[in-house]
Amino acid sequence: MGPTKIKQKRSTSTTNEYLDSITTPSKPDNSCLISPNGKAKDSTSLDNVGDAQVSDESEFEIEDLLSSSDEFVYDEDGIDDDAQVMLSHPIEEKEQKHQKEGNMPDLDYTVMTMQDIFENMLRRVDHLQPIFNIPREDILLLMQHYDWNEERLLENWTEKMDELLVEIGVTQDTGSTPHVSVATNETTPQGKTTESSKRGVKFRENFTCLICCEEKNTETFSLECGHEFCIDCYRHYIEDKLHSGNIITCMNCSLALKNYDIDNVMGHESSKKLMASSIKSFIQSHNKNYKWCPYADCGCIIHLRDTSTLAEYTRLHYSPFVKCNNDHRFCFSCGFEVHAPADCNVTNAWIKKARKESENLNWVVSHTKECPKCGANIEKDGGCNHMKCFGCKYEFCWICDGEWAPHGKDYYQCVMYNNEDNPKKSRDANLAKYMKKYTFYYRIFNEHELSAKLDWKLGQTIESKVRELQEQMDISWIEGQFLPDSIRILNESRTALKWSFPVSYYSDQSHNLTKIFVDNQSLLSKAVEDLSELLQIKDPIEIMRRKADFYNMSGFVENRKFALMECGRELLCRGICKPMD
Amino acid sequence: MASLPKRIIKETERLVTDPVPGITAEPHDDNLRYFQVTIEGPAGSPYEEGLFQLELYLPDDYPMEAPKVRFLTKIYHPNIDRLGRICLDILKTNWSPALQIRTVLLSVQALLASPNPNDPLANDVAEDWIKNEQGAKQTAREWTQRYAKK
Repeated sequence: MGPTKIKQKRSTSTTNEYLDSITTPSKPDNSCLISPNGKAKDSTSLDNVGDAQVSDESEFEIEDLLSSSDEFVYDEDGIDDDAQVMLSHPIEEKEQKHQKEGNMPDLDYTVMTMQDIFENMLRRVDHLQPIFNIPREDILLLMQHYDWNEERLLENWTEKMDELLVEIGVTQDTGSTPHVSVATNETTPQGKTTESSKRGVKFRENFTCLICCEEKNTETFSLECGHEFCIDCYRHYIEDKLHSGNIITCMNCSLALKNYDIDNVMGHESSKKLMASSIKSFIQSHNKNYKWCPYADCGCIIHLRDTSTLAEYTRLHYSPFVKCNNDHRFCFSCGFEVHAPADCNVTNAWIKKARKESENLNWVVSHTKECPKCGANIEKDGGCNHMKCFGCKYEFCWICDGEWAPHGKDYYQCVMYNNEDNPKKSRDANLAKYMKKYTFYYRIFNEHELSAKLDWKLGQTIESKVRELQEQMDISWIEGQFLPDSIRILNESRTALKWSFPVSYYSDQSHNLTKIFVDNQSLLSKAVEDLSELLQIKDPIEIMRRKADFYNMSGFVENRKFALMECGRELLCRGICKPMD
Repeated sequence: MASLPKRIIKETERLVTDPVPGITAEPHDDNLRYFQVTIEGPAGSPYEEGLFQLELYLPDDYPMEAPKVRFLTKIYHPNIDRLGRICLDILKTNWSPALQIRTVLLSVQALLASPNPNDPLANDVAEDWIKNEQGAKQTAREWTQRYAKK
């Protein structure tokens, strides 16, 4: 089965799913029977747009063919007249997919480390060397001075070469040509003029250093300028300046220390620190194109070559999600985790609000819950929201405190905010109502965040689980990969689900599309819970027996996630979801 | 307190034996890193005839770190703000350990002789200085008379 066919399958089911979500929320299981090959469908997420590009053409053709037959398949149940208007929606949806995958420019980015960037710079220095015809170390200084901006350097170089060399301290301001006074080079230590022999570390007896005023037998350092100071003062001086990223000069004039001078005085590696801080400041000052991965202790840097695409992403309420070498996914624009279906505005509004209003709420909501039946204190230690009280054996949903039994069947009720909850309350209760609405959404958001963390922990152990399967069940490593795949899908989907709640919070509750969105949330919630429960299975034999379930379930979850994300984007594009404070 | 570095002792000695004309700097009895400074207004400047009090403190890391200098006398100058803080490159980015207390104080004196309203610290004063230099200088003279009279 070639890639096109897999794509075809994906497109079909995506369109179907979307229709399902609008028309038949009561029978979500119809399309979850996806063959094990469906596993290859993980290119649905937005930031994989680039990967999917190759087979764009074929996908569109297939979709064009399919859409005509699929679009108007719907059930009447539960859909009022307004919803009929919404049914034309998949057509728009399809057009937008065209825009996304056809006209939507790809994010053209590379993942780099500081070392990569520095090596790039060194290559550029090598490039410039024949043009400048001065030692590489000197070009490095020039580049450092010009904040690694080659163009500006070249421009100024042709205009006022000698002035420039004096300005950055490569040559002294004596009118001598650069080639005479920068003669000192590591590789050619012999045959120096008296001037250049001043440069370097020497040993002196009874030397009085003008910086510390101590008289002692000591090593000293000086450049061609002859400003000689003791090595201790120089070390102290250089150490203080290594983090600035700027060129380090003689303590008494503007002559520059080159990297080998610094290493000479300080010991090896030190100039690397200086180069690193210089590159850091380069990244800082080019933060439109370069972004640090926001995850703790991750040194990756994303380099986006063409930022003009970002505006288009914003306009269509997509977010420019990128992935670093350590598989950390984040939004290039706002630096948050992947937050689809919410866009950056919704995310920022939500985060701000959460900071403002939920510090107390946060703790209360996330740490404590009593069994709704017997009142025993319960702490949640697994990802699934299907709870069973150890004391009274009552089974309930962690999110809504309701009995579990109705959740498991067809309709996941507890993600719907019931607006008609308190009709008797008067106008002055508006604030309380508003807080209640917020608390409701915040709580769900928080629960999913917590669950996501637990799922993530589960994911950390998954490799050992796969190994267990290999050893006990005698299956190949590659065959066992359905487990990590499922975990990844679970994590991604739970994140999407989590960020869908800010979207519904800011959406016009009375609008039909919001209702459809909430239906989509219900379906994804249920699917995610099912998958999470499936992943709780520990027995290897049971896991292998239910392997097809893993495939079906994660495929289904993936489709639901995509449908939810597209629906959320639609809410944003149409202005039904408006983040405000 | 740790013993005073030789560098500070030497500089202090030299400030006494070989004083800079128009400038005095005496360390405080309790803290030899803290100096009481006076600077005479340079001749030909609006600050002529004035005697300005300053404080100067040598931080622990001196001479790797610049001394901290502040005017105690009120002064109308575009590079000195209401709190007496001074905008001078060698006190910040262009500090070098080879500079000394005396060179710093000389630079402050030079700053009085040639204000630089294009790189201001006290914005209102600088604006006044650019728009109406004669008026601004007159105000500076009045302030010198009022606050810095010898």
